[in-house]
Amino acid sequence: MKKLVGVLVLLFVAASLSFGQAKVVVNEWQVPFLNSLTGAIAAIGEFLQWGAEYAAAEINAAGGIAGKPVKVIGVDTALDPQKGSVEMARLVKDSLVAMGPVPEPVIMAAMPIAVENGMVSITATTSYEYAEKFFPWTVSWFPPTLDRLPPLVVAWAKQFKDISQVVQFIEPYGPWPGMAGAHSSALKSLGIKELTKVDVPTDAVTFGPLAVKAMAQKPDGVILVCNAEKAAKIIKELKNLGWTKMNHILVFSSADDAQLYATGGSDINGVQVYNYLNLETSNPRWDKFKAAFAKAHNGNMPFSLSPNYYDALYMIKEAIEKTGVTGDPKLLKVERKKIADYIANVKGFKGLLFDWDMKDGIPTNKPTYIFEIKNGKKVLVQEVRP
Amino acid sequence: MPLSLYYYLSITAVNILMSWALYVPYRVAHLHFITVANMTISGYLSGYLVMNLHVPFGWALLIGFAVGGIIGYIVSLFIGDAPTFAVVMVGFTFIYITRTVIENMDVIGGTMGMFGLPNIGGSPAAHRWFIIGILYALVLVVGFLIFRFDHSRLGRAASAIFVDRDLATSLGVDIKKVGMLLQIFSCTLAGGVGVLYGFIYKSFHLDFFTFALVGIFMTVIFVGGYATQWGTVVAAPILYGFPLFFPPEVQSWRIVIYGAILILVLVLKPEGFITRKFVHSIGTALSRKRENS
Repeated sequence: MKKLVGVLVLLFVAASLSFGQAKVVVNEWQVPFLNSLTGAIAAIGEFLQWGAEYAAAEINAAGGIAGKPVKVIGVDTALDPQKGSVEMARLVKDSLVAMGPVPEPVIMAAMPIAVENGMVSITATTSYEYAEKFFPWTVSWFPPTLDRLPPLVVAWAKQFKDISQVVQFIEPYGPWPGMAGAHSSALKSLGIKELTKVDVPTDAVTFGPLAVKAMAQKPDGVILVCNAEKAAKIIKELKNLGWTKMNHILVFSSADDAQLYATGGSDINGVQVYNYLNLETSNPRWDKFKAAFAKAHNGNMPFSLSPNYYDALYMIKEAIEKTGVTGDPKLLKVERKKIADYIANVKGFKGLLFDWDMKDGIPTNKPTYIFEIKNGKKVLVQEVRP
Repeated sequence: MPLSLYYYLSITAVNILMSWALYVPYRVAHLHFITVANMTISGYLSGYLVMNLHVPFGWALLIGFAVGGIIGYIVSLFIGDAPTFAVVMVGFTFIYITRTVIENMDVIGGTMGMFGLPNIGGSPAAHRWFIIGILYALVLVVGFLIFRFDHSRLGRAASAIFVDRDLATSLGVDIKKVGMLLQIFSCTLAGGVGVLYGFIYKSFHLDFFTFALVGIFMTVIFVGGYATQWGTVVAAPILYGFPLFFPPEVQSWRIVIYGAILILVLVLKPEGFITRKFVHSIGTALSRKRENS
């Protein structure tokens, strides 16, 4: 009799569990990725797409999401807000979740549509200041600029006793002036004098006059807040004008991509760079990713935003599996909300390079790094935790 | 109304109106790219008025038209009778100046842009109907005005200026006055459309108003046909809508396809697909049909 009761209890528990675990109804999870695959930033769009598709292949090889394969569908917005908005309007009709858009102008045109329709679209390449406008239907991949950047600049400046005045080169694009403002607050906190900033026009082609303007103020340190190619050219001009203390130049994270190294060549040796991505980190997933990336990109190591959409897809996977999302079109609204709630406060998320937590859509413990460029490669100087 | 249809229709209307804003001064051979700067200025101003000063949208829209017109008037005092190249240069310069000024104005978002414009009419659905209603009412009104202009003495005077300025002057046409009038009309229209453009997206970003817009409007005019207003009406929905139905593999080649079409049209049909002759023959065919019935 006792055995029979035991068996019945076990059956009841099993039945309850199977009722609690809703059944996945889709044959394949489709995750659209609004990306700039053509146009001025197509090169960046390519490696973002590559990262997402690499994650999909890895997930599928390991059994998919809740037992079903996942497919990342690249939706080209061509850097065009008009196209981005129409594509997003098409997606919100029946997509469970999306990734992108990329970059800021398309985010601003298309994300209000995702918000209005209650669909998560993870914008993993933009700054907190853009992402937070669309909470809870996206998350920020980065902490607020005013929290994350000052500790980095403080750590950089503290390495050198002889820095007493610094000049910033600032290109007026999206969040970059705000990032320069965060650098300024760090310099102020250290009692370092900030010299008159040098504006870098978006369409600038010659950089000699800008370097002269900076050098005339006799700075001890330089911070570059402009795109990679311009940063490299400014460094070359500074060297031509006799700048020798290369590690007293700090390049901000958005300029840390292939063009910095391709254009800068040996002239950027010794320059310091801050970023989220530490190529020297080693773990089996990251090492595999690096090798595959290099194979697909003529031997190049992953660029600074390469892992973002890889991680974004894994975050979607975790949200679906942990919240029992089924993909049932009848439950679309409820399941979209489940995903939004989950990713906004995910804990111990296993990213490609490190684990991190989210609190209300903001990462709380992502490390950042300062590197020095040696022979065209970044060598870690120090890790900076918030 | 399905959301994607709303965006398709509203952006098509913007493209038609803005292509007309270029078409009208082009009747006297002025490529008036200042219209893109007008869109930007009026758009951002309306955003500021609505968001910060809580001015009702209707007033903000009217102010947007008015500011466009005032800028157009002031500029036309200097370039109302200028040659094409000078007008083009002034337009490009204005776009640069506008961008730089806005980049440095934190009160309207600076380089970050302006977020969270409110729904007109309270709800998102009402907002969409308002925007579509205003845009297509504007298409009808402006289309009617341009039609009347094309068939008026003023329109014929503009044609004479386009063909030969000296000849037009000898016929007693006041070149500057006609040029000014068309530039002011064009800038007024662009100002209002700029307001509506931002309210479609409910945000403003400087990269909404780039030279890419000039490219789109120019393609619409020159592929559709620059000699009549109907070319724009036909080309805008097709050129903008057609690529949306491309399979993803072909999507990436969109810009190449645009470019190829533009080159082919310029080589094979320099006047564009819808020519005056074509419009005339359709008109004749229709009137014959009416007479027969």
